[in-house]
Amino acid sequence: MNGSVATVGRDVGRILQALGGLVVVTLLVALVWGEFWAAPALVVSAAVPLVLGRLLWTRYREAEDPGMLHGMMVAALGWFAVGVFGALPFLLLAWTVRIDPAVLAAPDGTATLSAFTNPLNAVFESMSGFTGTGLTMTDDEEVLPRTLQWWRTFSEWVGGVGVIVLTTAILSRPGSGSLTLYESEARSEKIHPSVVSTVRTIWWIFVLFTFVSILTLWLAGMPIWEAINHAMTGLATGGFSVTDNSIATYDSATIDFALLPVMLLGSIAFPVHYLMLRGDLRNLYADLQTRWVFLYMGGGSALLVAFLHATGPYDTVFGAIRFGLFQFVSAATCTGFQTASPPATISLGDWPAQAQLTVTFAMVVGGAAGSTAGGIKLIRGLTLAKGIRYRIAEVFYPDSAVRRLHIDGRILDEEAASREFMEAAIITLLWVAFLVVGVFTLLLTLPAGEFTLENVLFEIASAQGNVGLSTGITGPESLPTPSKVTFLFHMWIGRLEIVPVLVTLRAVFKRGGMYE
Amino acid sequence: MTLGDLPVVSALADAGPDDRVFDALLLAGPSVVLLVAVAGRSLVTEAVAGVYLAALIGHVCYLWLRGRD
Repeated sequence: MNGSVATVGRDVGRILQALGGLVVVTLLVALVWGEFWAAPALVVSAAVPLVLGRLLWTRYREAEDPGMLHGMMVAALGWFAVGVFGALPFLLLAWTVRIDPAVLAAPDGTATLSAFTNPLNAVFESMSGFTGTGLTMTDDEEVLPRTLQWWRTFSEWVGGVGVIVLTTAILSRPGSGSLTLYESEARSEKIHPSVVSTVRTIWWIFVLFTFVSILTLWLAGMPIWEAINHAMTGLATGGFSVTDNSIATYDSATIDFALLPVMLLGSIAFPVHYLMLRGDLRNLYADLQTRWVFLYMGGGSALLVAFLHATGPYDTVFGAIRFGLFQFVSAATCTGFQTASPPATISLGDWPAQAQLTVTFAMVVGGAAGSTAGGIKLIRGLTLAKGIRYRIAEVFYPDSAVRRLHIDGRILDEEAASREFMEAAIITLLWVAFLVVGVFTLLLTLPAGEFTLENVLFEIASAQGNVGLSTGITGPESLPTPSKVTFLFHMWIGRLEIVPVLVTLRAVFKRGGMYE
Repeated sequence: MTLGDLPVVSALADAGPDDRVFDALLLAGPSVVLLVAVAGRSLVTEAVAGVYLAALIGHVCYLWLRGRD
């Protein structure tokens, strides 16, 4: 037990140090925007995780390298710690404005900022940001200080790639179990033999694509500050916005269509990006997941457009295509940008039930494994489909037949096929089970009769898939405290694909003597 | 001493796909965004942003065509 505490404590300490560094970067943004009143709160917000992380690191620096159990616990506890300590800028800035010390000359308070004086709202926003969910406790993002607008964006940008990937890239030690930690953060793909080289290349690609996305959105007509923020959250498939009505604020078809490739880039696996940047564009159709990203987005969007056009929310075919295509891609890539919202058009929550359920399905499946997208992941869906076909076809072969399962260019024997099928089935089953539990919890805690079942299902799928689309349930006032806690849990397990959280909870309860 | 010998530049070059054009685009990215932010929207800044995007897309296409030969 002591060995586990030491290993986990040391690596969670490294993650906290990285988090402190992120807040220091945000301090520079506050200074650039002239929000000097925010500096003391940010200094404290940086110092707390830095000092705590340093203490953990110093105390346990000689700990053993992490095994699989440690890796999962580091991922689960590290992400939880980042969610909690990442809330400090929200909480402390809100209280700075509330207390209004004369020496700082803080601006007048707003209801939006004031919501973050409640620690639970601050943790909700932070967890939503780092997990790339995008559900928010703000009523009007436009009135937030620039510093907090940036912190929300920055948390999603970093969280999209992963806090462990960040920590490994900047604080890694050779041969220190980086691979175990890397794999525990819902990643398995490698670009280079070395994990450290792989994560550095991932960041290289991500930064280049961020500049490309910023300039694309700016050329489409977005003001530069908004282009920077939306490019970062769009590429990270996070979905936080700096405008009150997400992308619907612009009511611009050009901006809607400019965001599609940004979100799609985020939903394609980084190794595929790497190969494409080396001129190997074959992977757009040769790679199983990437091919299905386009097939699934195309087919799902067509279905949604058909529902929207047939059932009437949009009078024109162009309107149905514009909003249907954007919302399906936004959901399936797990971004959560919203165009189906006033003033552009009617709200998602008012769409017909079949259209809402189509978007819900997109959120559950998600994008490619190894990308920034959430959900069950396309490769698992494909493995399940192929595995089911394989099992059914088995009946038609003689017992002596030697059969192989082909997945993504790999040829799997019976044992390997069973293992992959089981892994995909377990994750999917857990995903659906927690979805159902979340729906029941929300139905019990929300005011009776205020929201429909499809609204509730949609919102839980959005939280667990780290999407962020909302039918209007999520808000600082509209969401009761037990529901906020439920959403926090779903965002957390969704980002880590459930298993690491369950392993951690089991380890904590078992070792803590809760059960034997 | 060349530009590539600078610590930040060499670290960035080592992390990427070993291509000078992409390395140059990555290094130029902050400057282009800063230019756009400071100078605002004009024909010149739009042209600079457009050239940046065209260079990236064009270079990917060039590498693809070269690889097919």
